[in-house]
Amino acid sequence: MSSGSTVTTTVTKASIYTRFTGHQGVMIGAFIVLAIVLVALLAPLLAPHDPYQQNLLARLIPPVWDSRGSWDHVLGTDHLGRDYLSRLIYGARISLLIGFGAALISGLIGTVMGVMAGYFGGRVDMVVTFLITVRLSMPVVLVALAVVAIVGGSLQVVITVLGLLLWDRFAVVMRSSTLQIRSMDYVAAAQAVGCSTKRILMTEIMPNVVNNLIVIATLEMAHAIILEAALSFLGLGVQPPLPSWGLMVSEGKDMMLFEAWLITIPGVALFLLVLAINLMGDGVRDITAPENRN
Amino acid sequence: MVVNKHFSKLLVGALLAAGASTAAHAGKSNDTLNVAIDRELESIDNYYNTAREGIVISRMVWDGLLYRDPKTNKYLPNLATAYNWVDSKTLQFDLRKGVKFHNGEKFDADDVVFTLNYLGDPANGAKPARNVNWWNNAEKLGEYKVQLNLKKEFPAALEFLSGPLVMYPNDYYSKNGPEGMALKPVGTGPYQVTSVEPGKRYKFKKYDGYHASSPKGKASIGNIVIRTIAESNTQLAELFSGGIDWIWKVKPDQAERIKSQGAFTVKNSSTMRIGYLNFDAMGRHSKNPMNDVRVRRAIAHSIDREGIVKALVQGESIVVNSLCFPSQFGCTQDVPTYDYNPEKAKKLLAEAGYPNGFETPFLAYRNRDYAEAMINNLNAVGIKAKLEYLKYAAFRDKVQSGGAPFNFGTWGSYSINDVSAITSHFQSGGKDDYSKDPEVIKQLGIGDTSVDANVRQSAYKAALSRISGEAFMFPLWSYNTWYAFSKDVDFNPTPDEIPRFFTAKWM
Repeated sequence: MSSGSTVTTTVTKASIYTRFTGHQGVMIGAFIVLAIVLVALLAPLLAPHDPYQQNLLARLIPPVWDSRGSWDHVLGTDHLGRDYLSRLIYGARISLLIGFGAALISGLIGTVMGVMAGYFGGRVDMVVTFLITVRLSMPVVLVALAVVAIVGGSLQVVITVLGLLLWDRFAVVMRSSTLQIRSMDYVAAAQAVGCSTKRILMTEIMPNVVNNLIVIATLEMAHAIILEAALSFLGLGVQPPLPSWGLMVSEGKDMMLFEAWLITIPGVALFLLVLAINLMGDGVRDITAPENRN
Repeated sequence: MVVNKHFSKLLVGALLAAGASTAAHAGKSNDTLNVAIDRELESIDNYYNTAREGIVISRMVWDGLLYRDPKTNKYLPNLATAYNWVDSKTLQFDLRKGVKFHNGEKFDADDVVFTLNYLGDPANGAKPARNVNWWNNAEKLGEYKVQLNLKKEFPAALEFLSGPLVMYPNDYYSKNGPEGMALKPVGTGPYQVTSVEPGKRYKFKKYDGYHASSPKGKASIGNIVIRTIAESNTQLAELFSGGIDWIWKVKPDQAERIKSQGAFTVKNSSTMRIGYLNFDAMGRHSKNPMNDVRVRRAIAHSIDREGIVKALVQGESIVVNSLCFPSQFGCTQDVPTYDYNPEKAKKLLAEAGYPNGFETPFLAYRNRDYAEAMINNLNAVGIKAKLEYLKYAAFRDKVQSGGAPFNFGTWGSYSINDVSAITSHFQSGGKDDYSKDPEVIKQLGIGDTSVDANVRQSAYKAALSRISGEAFMFPLWSYNTWYAFSKDVDFNPTPDEIPRFFTAKWM
């Protein structure tokens, strides 16, 4: 650990920049994520049609590369005649919102619990470890399904439920990293000087565990996006007519054998987003804390 | 993605090719019709099972005293040769001689009296209760003559006796009970059961001793295997590969594609199920815009039923204007109607004090696409309906406990060809009634208890006209079922949604 920390402490801003640009995974991932974020932000400008506008006379038009397709609907239309490309573009907002939202809530819960357990130890640690064990013994998908089925699905409910379920990894990792940092000399020094607990936590502990936090946050973000897609696919997630990618797969499922593009297009979009977030997360870990690479 | 498109074509092509090569092994060549259904049946004892597939099997294995011809809707003699109303609460039957059950037991008055008295006893818990709770008891008048004593006038008696009420062998059933019957069913019907794997697979063989005078006719196909395959894409794949010869409940868009490929016969039949919007006219849920008849009428004018039927429901479905299926006794279409007219809808809304529309929850449990299309229609006149999509059981509970200003539901009338099975269910002041209108309740009461066809008809007409006029409920469209099967099979669907495999033949 001690040799590792010397490596990290000598990293300069310039060298981090070269590491970023030199790391293929992180560049590809960041590029895709950035592109999707931009698409989501600029959705009203980019979408060629209103994603909610139905046209029952123009249902199931295939994408442009099919002989029956046209440039008017580049990715075709769905079973209610809504433009598929526009729905895909607006769907990016839902996926990102759920990813960020759930990661934010769970990150907050998990970090507070993990850092407290790691720093204070003793009874606090016992309680937190117990809570983590309880949480780990619950199957996420089943609990999410049950809760959403009882409360009723909506965007807010899905974000909250996933946020409240996905904090375990944050708590585990934050707890163990805080435990390590806590026994460092500079923490002991700060304590000896008489710094307040708050100050030690914020200025000595947090900056040194934030790398791990970022990696876990990206992982959980991807996890939440996949879970939302699964919930929506089962009809229990985001409610129509909101264009969620999971919902789009679900709506196209019946035509799987005949019009495969109905599920491949949102499927590929989901795949790309999750892959990109994971690439980025892995890359950030490689760059900021190469000693943790296995 | 280009690759993907080709891949899907390749996939279907490969499945079809595989089907062509294995077709010789299944179906016609070994005289076995392979049928797929999408659910697991709890039991195939006719009286402990409410699934439609259970009714299908029931018609194959057992017979009723009468049989309703699905084409003419006439009641024909089956196990009874004649019936006679002694008075409005007493029915007598002459029974057919020489009929034998699959296990060799002789059919006579004892079987009929046993079956009806067994079912009539609430302690035995036969399902659904509405099928079996309308008589006091059955009496044996002779070896081939029985009398049924009704609790009160019950006009639909013959309808029940020609469909859901099938006759059981008294010796066998009193010995083996529902469990025995579910595992080794014994009846007088055109098919006998050769093997039962509960929830998975049922095998049937043509009953050679079937009584020749039955209006159902002797079966033509030698063997039938009914298998549960829950997922519709898997059913399709099996159909393409020749493992299955016959499927139903195919989605409209799927049916269209299968038809255009030309390798299978695709047929459509209207069913008795209709869709409706049920409004909270009396304020059971809350004080809400639906309490105002102008708002209910505005909603009726705002929904493009023709457009939705044409684009989404498809098949033989039609727009219905009164709260019943047109073939049902007492169902008149001569009621106030609402054309698709968004301008008129907006005007009505403005009159009711909602010039800019309003927001409302909207409950539904099936056909999410139809619901979304209606929400789009409502949106166009300013009504923001927020869809709350539930599983059927949750939907029913919520509706029956007064949980929504309006909901989109459907009703299949248990395939009973009589208005009492639908209009009376919803509008007689029961749990599903959101208007509890005294006039409607009164007229339905007259219709439900009279045995005079004219009295019934005019009472039902009065009730249906008032329901449509006040827009207590807004009837939408009838449903339909798509069937897809091997070109070797000659099969004709019926509007009561009960496939009769005993009338199917090989081409």
